Amino acid sequence: MKQIFLCKAGDLPSETVRKVENAEYGDIAVYNLGGQFYATADLCTHATASLAAGDIEDDLIVCPVHWGTFHIPTGEARGFPCEVGIKTYPIKEENGDLYALIEAPEQQAELIAKG
Amino acid sequence: MTINIETVDVTNALNDIDQFCDIPNARISGEIFYRSDIYEQELEKVFARCWLFVAHESQFKKAGDYIATTMGEDDVIVVRQKDGSHRAFINACPHRGNKVCFSESGNARGFICNYHGWSFDIAGNLIGQHESGVYEDSNFDASQWGLREVPLIDSYKGLIFANFDAQAPSLKEYLGPMTWYFDALFDNQEGGTEFVGGCIRSTMDCNWKIAAENFVGDILHAGWTHDSAARAMLGGAVSKVSDFDESYSVNWNGHGYEFALDTVGNVAVLGESALNKYLHTIKPSVAERLGDFRSNMIGSVSSATIFPNFSFLPGQNTIRVWQPRGPNKIELYTWVLVNKSAPEDIKEKWRKGAMMTFSPTGVFEMDDGENWEYCTKTARGKVTSKQHLYVGLGPDTLLKDTDLPANVYAGQLNEANSRAFYQYWSDLLKAPNWKAVPDRNVGRTEAGESAAQCVNKEMG
Repeated sequence: MKQIFLCKAGDLPSETVRKVENAEYGDIAVYNLGGQFYATADLCTHATASLAAGDIEDDLIVCPVHWGTFHIPTGEARGFPCEVGIKTYPIKEENGDLYALIEAPEQQAELIAKG
Repeated sequence: MTINIETVDVTNALNDIDQFCDIPNARISGEIFYRSDIYEQELEKVFARCWLFVAHESQFKKAGDYIATTMGEDDVIVVRQKDGSHRAFINACPHRGNKVCFSESGNARGFICNYHGWSFDIAGNLIGQHESGVYEDSNFDASQWGLREVPLIDSYKGLIFANFDAQAPSLKEYLGPMTWYFDALFDNQEGGTEFVGGCIRSTMDCNWKIAAENFVGDILHAGWTHDSAARAMLGGAVSKVSDFDESYSVNWNGHGYEFALDTVGNVAVLGESALNKYLHTIKPSVAERLGDFRSNMIGSVSSATIFPNFSFLPGQNTIRVWQPRGPNKIELYTWVLVNKSAPEDIKEKWRKGAMMTFSPTGVFEMDDGENWEYCTKTARGKVTSKQHLYVGLGPDTLLKDTDLPANVYAGQLNEANSRAFYQYWSDLLKAPNWKAVPDRNVGRTEAGESAAQCVNKEMG
């Protein structure tokens, strides 16, 4: 399990999303929904787009390019044209810092094999 | 984003312009309302070069608010930007040309083409496509393929105009001193004006110039054409215009305004005494703001056209664009304009008044429509279309020693504005570019002392 620093909790106002660049695992979108923090992959699964540039509507993130939607807590694709869900990452909050917990690639592969 | 619009090459002028538009001899021919080759020339030399009304600022509240309209036959969208400015784009996708916005107005995140999923933000930038990977593999440069932007956009007192020709004179120069008169309707109260209700859309089988010329300077028709409508709305005949002591026809660059100074002759035909009363109530403050002279124009017997196809009636407060749809068809876009500061019930009375009078079912509109359609349809006859039509009233009425701005003619029963309208039209059809358009204006470029007295501080 890898721990990736996202941002300070206090720097992410409620109902906003921001992009955290990460070359190794792909960019991460971190959200504050009414004080609850979530993290997902930032790249839309439909076409090249940064979800963090989109709008939050309730608990959905609306992709800025084709306006498809994903459910922020689960990553499920919810609205056309999105069909494939986005990865979600558990969040750890420590001393006001937010971290995404990312499984190492081999662990992920293992999960998929079991899946 | 860079301006990425291709300009229209201007084709040669038709060689018989002076036959079908002979203003020195006060003659035109019916063929100008029917010939498709003339119409094609108009699309490139009038509508692709002149400032065209596209929207009113009151139609936009926040970023992403848009209005879909047309400039000539070109579909465009006008979109409010995050900084509060407005930009206009051709409403066609740069990939295969499909329309990208199908509704008349609303608020949008951006515009996505239905065909291949090209997605544009409100600034017109292409921000993505369906199957984006194949574009990346093709070294596609998205920065070159945003929505095509109309190069010029500007506004006057809430009226937003756009222009396809980057070489055109500024809107200020184009409108010239006519704005002094326009203010009688568009700036007679603090806070300015707004559109109330939506856009009424309808069609008529007539040429666009018949309608534009009717508003530029033809009050002559009213007493005759509109007699029955006036009796229905007013219980009596239209004011006898020749009885007015003082009235004018003024024009500049083909724009024209004809008016009396009777304050409420136009508003009276809406049949709502509360509206007459409203205008009388605000009149002293208008006099303070604009001077006595223009305070008499706020709802007087009057009409105006901004060349080529934007017209309005003070008093009735109807605003319209005669959208050309071929040589013998127009689509009318009609709105109702009110002072923002007017009481709500007064605004509502104006909206209803417009429905009763100048809308597809309005009693005045039907009178006009019948006439305009047959002015157009008779020109279908080849022989008929070549016959001369008379536009000679008021030959020696130019006022040389007046403090009023623009080209000023005595009397509103006068075809001076119609002649100026057709002359400007003909000049544009002949001119390969804006520099070649002759300046035929002879009047003052701004109001002189006696006309300008009591004007507001802003105007200096």
